Amino acid sequence: MRYHAIVIGGGHNGLTAAAYLARAGRKVLVLERRDILGGAAVTEEVIPGFRFSVCSYVVSLLRPEIIRELDLTRHGLQILPLDGTFTPMPDGNYLWRVDDHAVTHREIARHSRRDADAYAGYGQAMVEMARFVRPLLDMTPPEPTARNPRDLLKLGGLIKRFRDLSPANRRNQLQLMTMSAADFLDQWFETDVLKATMSASGIIGTFLGVRSPGTAYVLLHHYMGELDGVFRSWGLPVGGTGAVSNAIAAAARKAGVEIRTGASVAGIRTRHQRALGVTLDNGADIDADIVLSSVDPRRTFLGFLGPADLPVEFVDDVKRYRFRGSSAKVNLALDGLPEFASFPKGTTHLRGAISISPTVDYMERAYDDAKYGAFSRRPYIDMVIPTLLDPTMAPPGKHIVSCFVQYAPYFLANGSWDDQREAFGDTVVDTLAEYAPGIRNLILHRQVVTPLDLERDFGLTEGNIFQGELSLDQLFFMRPVPGWAQYTTPIRGLWMCGSATHPGGGIMGAPGRNAARRILGIRH
Amino acid sequence: MPTEDVIIIGGGHNGLVAAAVLAKTGLRPLVLERAEKVGGCAVTSELAPGFRCPTLAHRAALDPSIVRALDLERHGLQIIRPAAIVCAPTAGDRALTLWMDTERTTREIEPFSRADARRYPEFLASLTAVSSVLRSAFSFQPPSLDRPRLGHIVNLLKLGRRFRGLPAPDAHRLLRWLSMSVGDLVHEWFESEPLVATIAAGGLLGQHLGPRSPGSAAAFLWLGAGEDRPVVPGWSAVGGIGVVSDALGAAATQAGARIRLCAEVRSIVVENDTATGVVLSTGEQITAQRIVSNLDPRRTLLGLVGPGHLPAHVSENLRHIRMRGTLAKINYAVSSLPAFRGLAARDPAQQEAALSGCVRLCHGIDALERAFDAAKYGRSSDEPWIELNIPSLLDRSLAPHGHHVVSAYVQFAPYVLRGSTWDTERDRFGDAATRTIEQFAPGFARSIVARQIITPLDLERDHGLTEGQIFQGELALDQLFLARPLLGWAQYGTPIRSLYLCGVGTHPGAGLDGRSGWLAAQSIAP
Repeated sequence: MRYHAIVIGGGHNGLTAAAYLARAGRKVLVLERRDILGGAAVTEEVIPGFRFSVCSYVVSLLRPEIIRELDLTRHGLQILPLDGTFTPMPDGNYLWRVDDHAVTHREIARHSRRDADAYAGYGQAMVEMARFVRPLLDMTPPEPTARNPRDLLKLGGLIKRFRDLSPANRRNQLQLMTMSAADFLDQWFETDVLKATMSASGIIGTFLGVRSPGTAYVLLHHYMGELDGVFRSWGLPVGGTGAVSNAIAAAARKAGVEIRTGASVAGIRTRHQRALGVTLDNGADIDADIVLSSVDPRRTFLGFLGPADLPVEFVDDVKRYRFRGSSAKVNLALDGLPEFASFPKGTTHLRGAISISPTVDYMERAYDDAKYGAFSRRPYIDMVIPTLLDPTMAPPGKHIVSCFVQYAPYFLANGSWDDQREAFGDTVVDTLAEYAPGIRNLILHRQVVTPLDLERDFGLTEGNIFQGELSLDQLFFMRPVPGWAQYTTPIRGLWMCGSATHPGGGIMGAPGRNAARRILGIRH
Repeated sequence: MPTEDVIIIGGGHNGLVAAAVLAKTGLRPLVLERAEKVGGCAVTSELAPGFRCPTLAHRAALDPSIVRALDLERHGLQIIRPAAIVCAPTAGDRALTLWMDTERTTREIEPFSRADARRYPEFLASLTAVSSVLRSAFSFQPPSLDRPRLGHIVNLLKLGRRFRGLPAPDAHRLLRWLSMSVGDLVHEWFESEPLVATIAAGGLLGQHLGPRSPGSAAAFLWLGAGEDRPVVPGWSAVGGIGVVSDALGAAATQAGARIRLCAEVRSIVVENDTATGVVLSTGEQITAQRIVSNLDPRRTLLGLVGPGHLPAHVSENLRHIRMRGTLAKINYAVSSLPAFRGLAARDPAQQEAALSGCVRLCHGIDALERAFDAAKYGRSSDEPWIELNIPSLLDRSLAPHGHHVVSAYVQFAPYVLRGSTWDTERDRFGDAATRTIEQFAPGFARSIVARQIITPLDLERDHGLTEGQIFQGELALDQLFLARPLLGWAQYGTPIRSLYLCGVGTHPGAGLDGRSGWLAAQSIAP
C-alpha cells in the first residue's frame, strides 16, 4: 500500500488537509498520536456523565467554505449560537451585551449614554475591517523579498486594496494592525468595564497585556469569525468542540482517508533533502510521496528532523519562533447553576460568555504577574456553561463549566506547573467566587489543564494554544518563519498545515485547507 | 498685502532648519520664538554659577547633509563623537562599555559572554544594513496615497530597491523587527543581561513602552536610523548642545531669515480656510502668505487654529494622537566626577574615556519593565531607568575646574499622575533618581551642588511640549511615515491652506535630526 500523502496529527487542520487531498483523489493516511482525534478540538468524558471540551471550547472562526465544501453539516456538525457576554463587576454592577442591539444599547447606556451610541458604529467599523482582512485568510501569503511576478502582483494587490479603503477605514486598519487593544478602544469608549471586557479578546493566547501594542490585531482576529454569515458570532458545537473534529474526520473518511489513532510519529525520513515518509514510535516505516505536518515547527523540524537535515539559518529561525503559552483551562462539573451576586435573576445572561474582566487595570495587572513568571493572582477568565445550550454534555440537572484562564505562563519563575496546579485551580475558583459566591459548594469535580498539560497531552509546545504567538512578526508572510510562509519547507515533499502557518490558530481550518490547495496546485 | 512672506512659529531646531532652507530659496522668513533664545529642546543654560548644562536634550543627531548644506561648522558647530558609545556600569564591580571601535567593544563584552562578543559584529552589521534602508525613507516626503506625485512614486521605488538590495536575512529582519518588542529583538542576539538591557533601553526613550512591549523595537530602529551609529545615536558639541541651535540660528540669519525672540504666538488667523497671519500674546497681529509651525500638531491645530476651523474628524484624530510623555529631565551640578563602582578598577583616564559617551543605568530587562509598569498605572517609577551624559567631560569649560555637570534622562515619569500632581511629586521623583544613581555611584548624592528637575508638566508648560512628549507624538507604527502626524496629512500641509507643520511631530520624527524642518521646507519652497 503506497500513500500519496501522510498527515502527521489528527487535529482539525490535519483532518481538513487530508479531506481536501482525498477529495482530489489522493490516497491519504492521517497519523494521530492519541487514541482520540481532534487535537485541541476534542471532547472527552473526564468523569462519568460529564463531557468536556477539554481545550478549545467555542467556535467562530471555522471557515464557512470548509463547512460547505466538506459538507460538515451532513457529517453531524451543528453549532448553537452563544448569545452575548456578561461581565459581573466587583461593586455589584454588571455589563451585559447581547446580539439584540436594543438590549445592548440599554445595558451599555446604564454605564454611559455616549458609549451606547458609539457601540453600533464600532461594530460596523470592525465588520468592515474584518471584510478587508477576510480574503487574506484564504490566501497563500506572498513573499515580500521574492522577485517572481506572482508574489509581486499579490503584494501590489494588497496595497491597492488598502488604498481603495475610505480614509477612515485606512486609519482603522493601520491602527488595528499595530496598536494595543486598550489604546484602540480608548478612542471609541469611556466606560472602563466595557473597554476591559472588549479588550480581553485582544490578549487570547498571547503573552501580551491589553495595553501592549499588537493586541488590537488579535481583537480583529476574533472579529473575523462568522456563523451563518454573521460576523463576530460565536457558537458551541453540539457535543463539544470534538464534534467539529469528528465531523471533519467523517468527511475525510468518506473521501477515502485512512485514519490511524495511537500512531505516534518518531521521525520524518528524508534523503537528499527530500521527504520519504515517516517512522513510527514502534519502529515501523511508512512511505509516502509527501508528508504534511500539522504539528508546530519546533516539533516538526527539531523533533521529527534533525538540524543536520536543514539549512543553519532556517534552524535558527525555527528556534526563534515564539510560543510562550500564557493560558490554561479549568473545567468544572457543577451540581447546579452558579448565581452571580450582581445579576441573580434568570439564566439568559448565563447562556453566553461570562467574562471576568472588570477593569482595564485588572487585565493589565493580570499580565504584570505573568511577565515576572507567576500566574495571575486575579486572572482574566472567560467562562461558558455549555450545558445551558446542550444539556447532553452532563447528567440531568448538572452542569459543566468551561473556564479559559489567562495568564498562566508556561515558564514559572518558581516551582513547576505540577506543583502549582491546585494552587492555580484554587485561584480560579476564588476569583469566580468573588462574583458568584455559591459556586464553591456546587463543584463536583475540577479539571485543571495547565500550559504544561497542553504541551504534554496535546502536543502544544510551551502550551501555546495557537501553535505560536499571534504577534505581528509571526503572522502572514512571516508565519511560521520568514521565507517559508507558503506551507513549504526546505525539505522537498514536506509541507506544513497546522495553526503555526498562515492564518494561525483557533478552530479555523484555514491552514489545513490552504496547504491542501497549495499542494494540489490550486492558485489562491 | 501680507507683511511677511513666511512666518515660522517656534525657533526650535526644525524651525531654524526650515527658516534657513526657505531663506536660501529667496524668501525672508520671520521666526517667532517665545523664549529669550532660540533652540527649543536643544539649549544649554546655566544651572548654577559656573555650571552650564544641556537643559533638555543632551544628544543631537543632525542629518549630516543638513550640517553640510547649512555650513554649520562655519557657524560654530564643532561636533564631538566620543570614543565610547555607551557605558553600562553594573551595581556590582563591573562595567560594560560599547565603543565606536567594534573590536574594542567585543573585547569588553568577552568577560560578560563570549557568545555575545562573537555575535556583536554580526548584530551591528545587520542593524546597520537595516537602518540604512530606514534612513533612505527619512530623506523624502511620505507619499500621498490619494494623489501620489511622480516624485513620490520614484522615491517609493527607490526605497523598494533599497529594501530588495538587502540580503534576504536582513530583509526579513527588517520586517520582523518593526513589529517586535525591543527586548525580544535584543534577546535573539545576546544573553548577557547588561548588554541586552543597555541596548534595549534605546527603544524606550521618550516612549510609553516597556522593553516587552511590541513596537519598542520600531522606536529603537527609528531613533537609531539617522546615522551610522544605530545602537545609541547622537553626538555632543563643543560648548554644549545649545551650540547646535546657535549655529542653526546663525545660518538662518545669514541666509536672510529674521528671528524675533520673546514673541509668543497666541493664535493663527484663519480666513476662508486659509491661514493669513498670527496674533502674538501682546495682541500684535502679523500677516503672512505662509505660516509654518514648529509646534506639535495638536497644539498648532487645536490650540492656535482652533477646532472650529477644522473638519470634525480631523479634530478628533488630532486629539487621538498618542503623546503620553514619560521622560523627566534632571540636571545636576556636582563637585566631582561620579565614581561608578563598576569602573573603580580602572584608572582615571580610562574612567573618563568610558564615561565620555552615554551612561545607562539599569539592573536588567525586568528592572526596565518594572520602571514602565509604574507608568501604566499613573505612578512615577520608584527605581527609574536613567541615561546620563556628562558633557563637562568633553568640554571642561562647562563646569568649574574639577566639577562636572551631569545631565539625566529619567524614566518613567508619566505626564498623567493618578491622585497626585507633578508639582507635588517633583522632589520625590528627583530623590528617586538620585537614589538610583547613588546605587551605581556611591557618593553621588553628597557631591550634588545644584539640581534642576524638569517634569513632564514642566516640559509642557515651559517648553511647549504637549503632555511632555519629547517627540511631539509617540513613535508608534501607526504614527510614523504615512501616518505622521495623521494618515492623509503626512506631506507637511494641514487642512488649513498656507499652514504647514515642520516639527518633530511630522515625518520622520526621529529626534534631534532637523529632517522634519528640512523636508517641510522642501515642500513649502516656491
